[in-house]
Amino acid sequence: MEKMVGQRIKRKEDPKLITGNGVYLDDIKIPGLLHASILRSPHPHAKIVSIDKEKALAHPGVVAVYTGKDLEGKINPVPTSWKVPGMNLIETKQYPLAIDTARYVGDGVAMVIAESKYTARDAVEMIEVEYEVLPSVANQKEARKEGAHQIYEEVPDNVAFKYVAGEVTDEDLENAEVLIKGTYNTQRVAPSPMETRNSLAQYNPGSGDLKLYVGSQNPHIHRMVLSEVLNFPEHKFHVKVADMGGGFGGKIGVYPDEALVSYAAMDLKRPVKWVETRNEHFQSANAGRDMMVDLELAGTKDGKITALRAVNHANIGAYLATFGPGNPTIDFGLMLSGPYKIEKAQCTTYGMYTNTMSVDSYRGAGKPEVTFMLERAVEDFARKINMDPVEVRRINFASKEEFPFTNAQGLIYDSGDYVKALDKAVENAGYQELREKQKELRAQGRYIGIGLSSYVELSGFGPSAVAGGIGFQGGIWENSTVRVHPGGTVTVYTGTSPHGQGHDTTFSQIVKDKLGIPYEDINFVFNDTRAVSMGWGTYGSRSLAVGGNAVALATDKVVEKGRLLAAHLLEADVESIDFSEGIYSVRGEAGRRKTFKEIAKAANFAWNMPEGMEPGLEEKTFFDPSNFTYPFGTHIAVVEVDVETGGIKILRYIAVDDSGKIVNPTVAEGQILGGIAQGVGQALWEGVQYDEKGQLQSGSFMDYTMPKANFFPKIEMEFTETLSPVNQLGTKGVAESGTTGSIAAAANAVMDALAPLGVISIELPLKPEKVWKAIQKGGAKS
Amino acid sequence: MEIKHKYTFKDLSKQEVWDVIQDPEALQAALPNCETFEEVGDEEYKAVMKINMGAIQGEFTADVQQVDKKEPDSYRLLVKAKGKPGEIEADANMILDEADEGTELSCIAEVGSTGLMATVGQRMVGGVAKVVLGQFFKDIEKQAKQAAGQ
Repeated sequence: MEKMVGQRIKRKEDPKLITGNGVYLDDIKIPGLLHASILRSPHPHAKIVSIDKEKALAHPGVVAVYTGKDLEGKINPVPTSWKVPGMNLIETKQYPLAIDTARYVGDGVAMVIAESKYTARDAVEMIEVEYEVLPSVANQKEARKEGAHQIYEEVPDNVAFKYVAGEVTDEDLENAEVLIKGTYNTQRVAPSPMETRNSLAQYNPGSGDLKLYVGSQNPHIHRMVLSEVLNFPEHKFHVKVADMGGGFGGKIGVYPDEALVSYAAMDLKRPVKWVETRNEHFQSANAGRDMMVDLELAGTKDGKITALRAVNHANIGAYLATFGPGNPTIDFGLMLSGPYKIEKAQCTTYGMYTNTMSVDSYRGAGKPEVTFMLERAVEDFARKINMDPVEVRRINFASKEEFPFTNAQGLIYDSGDYVKALDKAVENAGYQELREKQKELRAQGRYIGIGLSSYVELSGFGPSAVAGGIGFQGGIWENSTVRVHPGGTVTVYTGTSPHGQGHDTTFSQIVKDKLGIPYEDINFVFNDTRAVSMGWGTYGSRSLAVGGNAVALATDKVVEKGRLLAAHLLEADVESIDFSEGIYSVRGEAGRRKTFKEIAKAANFAWNMPEGMEPGLEEKTFFDPSNFTYPFGTHIAVVEVDVETGGIKILRYIAVDDSGKIVNPTVAEGQILGGIAQGVGQALWEGVQYDEKGQLQSGSFMDYTMPKANFFPKIEMEFTETLSPVNQLGTKGVAESGTTGSIAAAANAVMDALAPLGVISIELPLKPEKVWKAIQKGGAKS
Repeated sequence: MEIKHKYTFKDLSKQEVWDVIQDPEALQAALPNCETFEEVGDEEYKAVMKINMGAIQGEFTADVQQVDKKEPDSYRLLVKAKGKPGEIEADANMILDEADEGTELSCIAEVGSTGLMATVGQRMVGGVAKVVLGQFFKDIEKQAKQAAGQ
């Protein structure tokens, strides 16, 4: 029978979701349920002089009002979970509600608990807070300047951490034939999942159990961290995730809000729900990117890049987010040289406190930023030496014979064939014809741009020993239990946490191929700390690369135990038992056989087990991979810029990605497609706006442009398959590649279009107004 | 953000405009939906105003201060207003100039805001300010003409 892995199987998750049978957190109703609403600071930085909550407390339907002072000593500060050795991290205290000082627009100041969510929101407006507005700073480079306002007394120059990876000397650069210097900033964006953040806590005063439903990509991390924050033991703490409408990194973080809701439920002995409003999401959900990067690139006239030296000013917000310190230092800093064989690379990262919301992982988490920097710079370099950008990439790529390949910063890439993906993309785009057409159209006054971006990214988190080495406060192995029921159907438990990715579909394909039972007989349980012993969640494109392989390994164990039992029942040697398509049979004697279903029953009944074998058919694996996986690819964007208006139209978008073995092309394409929308969104439209003081100005979708389907042509996607040697299935991460590859492709296309007009650089996002202004400054001929 | 507004008071001298624009009663009458306007100190006033424009809705209490007065040429208006949609802080230079048709008053204000007004109302604030200022100056002009017996 044909293997199911590799097939376009329709998503198992969809019938439930598209027929309105999904149960999202806000759908959960529990008798006695109370609702929370949080009063947030309207000032970027202010001393809280006084809070008068009497009016709110007197409002009918209000049950409680808490302030930071009320909770002092009762809830611990929310910590970061990534402390990179050697970064001299200064972690400040983030209390669940600000006690004396609010440090960003959106910092929680008080919380109302009421009988209805409307009452709670009304009552929040009745709380009177007297603030003393303090000086503030929003921009990370401004925050480091002499004389900048100090946000914390204990943090000189607002530098939360400084981290240097690699070494490049002045001589390395000065002696180069070609040296280019550029600034490649990726602006702050809001994760904006369709479903905002939320939590619902229920405490049982009789048993002392606390159950928390939370919008989380990693419920076990939530349990672990909140257990410390709340001084509440993990064994009494049950964390669950309902159906969840997306995360994109914004739901990795452990937030004050979840601790507050849990505390209130215990304090009031009634269940409490909180659902973030969209305006709140823009204020107080961890943002992404916000890195300001100055790069020096040294090379030769014939196209070889010899050294890279970058200084990254990473805005980390007013408080450290859960993964905040790791993204600019590890994910960005150690990936500086990307897919290229560049001998020397150095990245100095300043993690800067500012009066803004915290910055955490957002799809790609450091890799899109570093790829944007590198791929924009590679094209600037190509233009300077007057060489085709395709050729420059080809000259500098690590070749496929060199894998496992050690990059300039010491990371070991598992496998790769960068030229293959580049060639495929060039072929699919019809690159040469596009260049000719570009010339032709330029003569007619039309400005077409062709932009490339080749990437490799660190994904599939990962080996736990490395996690320890880079200060990640947890393991990154994955766990799976395969439980076979007496009737022969199977329930699989695993610690990754799907919220739209399609784990149920793809993981079931893996199990189906191994057990040979009907696809419908396989069911998965995720997102539940009581069902799954331990797991590390879904981020860093790790679910399939780590979690899917844990499932595969646990299923193998089931097959092997079944083989022992079948040999016993068939009175044959174990070595002579074949297992194929769900049937154990004695080799060469097809008649002597037991179906998987029969073995399932025999194991569960345990009437006749081999000597020493325990009853049941249930196996568990903890899989800790030996390395990360490194997916790669090349994207090509073709745009037309209207020089009269600055408007940009995407004419074509070609993506060739290599994510190792593809389990389900439809699901993988979905990941790439969504990723491209977010990457191109960053390049052209999205952007969180703060004024220079830190006053948020983009608090709604009216002020923040989300990418929409009609902004895009049909995305032309293809995969090459270079298997990863670090896991059984040969899989690599796929969820972030689309984003990682696409920001630079889109931006390079626009810059390529504008090159004849003398425009060299425009800050993202490339909104028409900015493009138009740059054209005017660059000296448009029209 | 910066808000700029110009208004020409036809057939009125700088002094005539000045006299009206410095009269608290005239100001209260001219400010749209202004419920109170009290003098609370030397050149300091407290006002309560209602605004109802899209997302920017509700009652605002404002502290208004006049400084750097150079009669009849210019003054600075410092406004701190507070309402449910957020707070506004404005520092406005008010300059009166002789013009062919009468007196031109230029208002150049640096305006900061917080709350909903900043996060979702940002691009409405300018529009709202223009409407409010427009109505205000029109009314001042009417009163000044009455005072001048026109």
